[in-house]
Amino acid sequence: MVAAARPRRQPDTPEVGTGSVEQFHAPAPLSSATVERVLGKVRKPGRYAGGEWNSVQKDWAATALKWCFAYPDLYEIGMSNLGLRILYEVLNDRSDRLAERCFSPDVDLADELRAAGVPLWSIETRRPLREFDVLGLSLGYELVCTNMLEMLDLGGIGLTTGERSESDPLVIAGGSIVLNPEPIAGFVDAVVLGEGEDVVIEISDELERLGWHRRIRVGGIGERTGEWRRGVDRATALRALARIPGVYVPSLYRARYLADGRFDRLEALDAAAPMTITGRIAADFETHVRGVRQLVPNIGIVFDRAQLEVMRGCTRGCRFCGAGMQSRPLRERAPDVAVDAAEAILRATGYEEIGLTSLSTADYTHVREVATELRRRRPQTLLSLPSTRVDAFTVELVDAIAPTGKRGGFTFAPEAGSQRLRDTINKGVSDEEIERCAQLAFDRGWSSIKLYFMIGLPGETMDDVLAIAAISRRVLQMGHRRHGGRAQVKVNLSTFVPKVMTPFQWDGQDSTLEIEAKVGALRQAMHGKGLTISWHDPTSSILEAALGRGDRRLGPVIRRAWQKGARLDAWDEHFDYPTWLAAFAEAGLEPAWYAQRDIPTDERLPWAHLGAGVSTAFLLRDRKRALAARATADCHWGPCANCGVPAATGFACQTGEDGPRTLLVSVGDEGRGWRYIGPPGDPRRPTTASSAGPNALSGSGADVDGDNVEAGRGERRDRPYDLPGSEMQSKDAGPDGLASPVEAAGDESTG
Amino acid sequence: MSEVKQRWRLVFARDEEARYLSHLDAVRLWERAFRRGEIPVATSEGFTPRSRLIFAAPLQLGMLAEHELADLFLAERLTAPDLRDRLAAGMPRGYRVVDLHDVWVGAPAIAPQLAAADYRMTLLNVERTALESAAATLTAAERLPRERLKEGKSIPYDLRPLLLDIRAIPPDPKAAPPEAAAAMTSVWMRLRHTQDRGSGRAEEVVAALADEMGLVASPASGGVGGEAEADETRAEIVAPAARAVIEVIRPVRERLWLVNELDSEASSGGVVG
Ligand code: SF4
Repeated sequence: MVAAARPRRQPDTPEVGTGSVEQFHAPAPLSSATVERVLGKVRKPGRYAGGEWNSVQKDWAATALKWCFAYPDLYEIGMSNLGLRILYEVLNDRSDRLAERCFSPDVDLADELRAAGVPLWSIETRRPLREFDVLGLSLGYELVCTNMLEMLDLGGIGLTTGERSESDPLVIAGGSIVLNPEPIAGFVDAVVLGEGEDVVIEISDELERLGWHRRIRVGGIGERTGEWRRGVDRATALRALARIPGVYVPSLYRARYLADGRFDRLEALDAAAPMTITGRIAADFETHVRGVRQLVPNIGIVFDRAQLEVMRGCTRGCRFCGAGMQSRPLRERAPDVAVDAAEAILRATGYEEIGLTSLSTADYTHVREVATELRRRRPQTLLSLPSTRVDAFTVELVDAIAPTGKRGGFTFAPEAGSQRLRDTINKGVSDEEIERCAQLAFDRGWSSIKLYFMIGLPGETMDDVLAIAAISRRVLQMGHRRHGGRAQVKVNLSTFVPKVMTPFQWDGQDSTLEIEAKVGALRQAMHGKGLTISWHDPTSSILEAALGRGDRRLGPVIRRAWQKGARLDAWDEHFDYPTWLAAFAEAGLEPAWYAQRDIPTDERLPWAHLGAGVSTAFLLRDRKRALAARATADCHWGPCANCGVPAATGFACQTGEDGPRTLLVSVGDEGRGWRYIGPPGDPRRPTTASSAGPNALSGSGADVDGDNVEAGRGERRDRPYDLPGSEMQSKDAGPDGLASPVEAAGDESTG
Repeated sequence: MSEVKQRWRLVFARDEEARYLSHLDAVRLWERAFRRGEIPVATSEGFTPRSRLIFAAPLQLGMLAEHELADLFLAERLTAPDLRDRLAAGMPRGYRVVDLHDVWVGAPAIAPQLAAADYRMTLLNVERTALESAAATLTAAERLPRERLKEGKSIPYDLRPLLLDIRAIPPDPKAAPPEAAAAMTSVWMRLRHTQDRGSGRAEEVVAALADEMGLVASPASGGVGGEAEADETRAEIVAPAARAVIEVIRPVRERLWLVNELDSEASSGGVVG
């Protein structure tokens, strides 16, 4: 460490309401005695105690609109979310507004709060959630919806829009699953589609203009009823929000169904309600880095490191991946912007490690340049990055930034066992390529390789499944030759979940029996020393698919499941499928109908009014290609596939084909050489229509990651923690079926 | 590994905002604080170099503190005001540096010099008089056979030699009683705290007091009672539900004592064990 000039910026200290004429709503916080007493009885009280570096405590009497971000999962997950760190800073940058935080309480705290009659409080100033003006819910995974109800209930807020009083906060949801928010439509007042950076400001401005934050006392002066109303009524505020682009107000619509149970259409009930809503794209991602003073937790969390999003969007076009399809257009930060921002974030947080995040950072044009420069400027800092590529470039990259010494597991995500099925899902890496990568990783010191596969992909046959065993065994043999008995191959299986707004949104899941038969056969074909298979009970995937492709009739089902005790469903130790089955049955519905049905492509979809940019016409086209096992090139350097994003979002794409940007792409057998691909007309530009090299359609992952801090309980099912911040900020969000996370490199026990 | 140019002994306090940190959390937080303040900390050798900050005695999760000790080794010399400034720039919330002394780099390690620690715990549902007589009984006893849970097994030991002094004191003014609390009083104790001859644990003394009074002690707030084993310890203590429960709030470690400090205090007529 150097003792040069040091900035003396303290994290925000409480802002005092100097000279403010207006005194805003400022109820008393919970007493510290109450909090101490409750926290004295729970595990990991550090989750709820606050005091984190860069957290902001403001004077309520001097701040107008008050947000509370409610993250419906445990602290260790929520605090890892980059989107939360970004939006927290964006809102708190304004001294006259505030944003606080709250996470799902673990069951012990929830029970304790109920027993003691204490409301769930915000971390910063310990106010009950119901005292805020806006509750911002970040929904990154289908199975957190019961946590949302639990938080609303414990926070003293009406569960549905109809049950909320005029004084309750507006409940506004964002995050990756809200591309189909219909199942939760009854619980949220508004939904923000797409990236949240700009729209949270627009929402705040509008609510302040209307006086949503003002409290007007009802009754005479000195009356002690405590009754008051807001400066504007709820219905008016919601109609005003519906006019903001990207904001969907579900209560302004009614859903109609056909007699046979299928969805018919959505009717607008109000003139303010637009018939289509498209997700927002933050205006200045490339040039403007937000989320510098990132929250630094006091206790260990899942991603305990600084994060810098170097790229947003993904154009690889994996057909099962919601995040990738929904986050276009691709935007990259210039190398100097990225390096400076990384340094600023490290200085502001004191973190020893920074993740260069995106959906696939090996695809970031400047990844080497940025990594090298950061290494040079801060040799002590650890770097990590996620990648979905299976290619030599990725291995080389990870090798270059991973600490030397003992190396744990390197992860690849070929996703499907056979070449044909990989072509179907547009992850066209070849067997030889996978083997070459594995060989390289073994050569560079990794002795264990993790392979992620999906079971139940559209068009999958038993041959495709058994191909997983074949490739895994071949990889293991290579490991044995290099590392002897130490070599290990760990195969991780997950169940395919159709994601809305992907070419596979119409395809049903396999039945549980089919899945079990496939996994059973695979297990038979794969045994032996050094080879392990892990997979999860597929019932949670059924629920994930049912909720993901659901409609408004699932609202009462979610509520019933919660009433029956479902909470923290994303955690194995809490998930109880029979509870959910019973809740479905009471409503006369079946999860299988939602999850396993092949939906005819001409049927109306409950989420058809919402969009992320990619057009249905493109999805149908791409689905046809899938059925023919034909690839669609990555438009990062290949030709434009006319996915419809520019027309829907107004953002022009700067692709290798028709954009002005110059791209450096790694190609070639070893992936080590750089080839220059200039703008159209550039003589160095390759001329073939599909200019993507052999690696272009490959995929899989690597992430230099060692510190899988346990969240203090059983395993959480949705794997991709390694994804960039999600929630309102970027559509990708973590846990939604993304390619694969992956840890590679590094000693798994360090950190 | 970097060469050590200077060694500082930090005296620090920990209040509410940092209270629920485990020892490992605290170490990580301090390292980040040094990076934020750009303090040239010497690093240890090894695969993952750690900052050379050595706490005299880990502080349990949930415990507040007023006079803790840590040695900080620097790779560059700093003046005291400069170091103070840099610490202030990056210090985690809830930690306060009370004092700092420039120590000879070669001075003996701090932990082996520890002799005792003072604690102040506030007890709910306990009358002062009852506490006084229970404390007297403990002091008068020749042996106090107790059991301590370690990795799920209970190990018998004698608490008496670890208990140097104990008194009922007026309630801690900072401990706000919850609305319905009946009686509240505080207990002060000095416990042996050594590397080689054992250390007393405040919550075990409270449990002994509770037994004396025919009551049960609920765990101190935030699970003071050992980090990894907190859960089992808790389950163990709460079990017999029939008896009235003492609730412990605001547990504070008032001060750590080094051997020479305690000797000089004793000879000048201070508290004797
Ligand atoms: S419009 Fe073309 S270039 Fe732009 S994201 Fe879609 S496919 Fe790629």
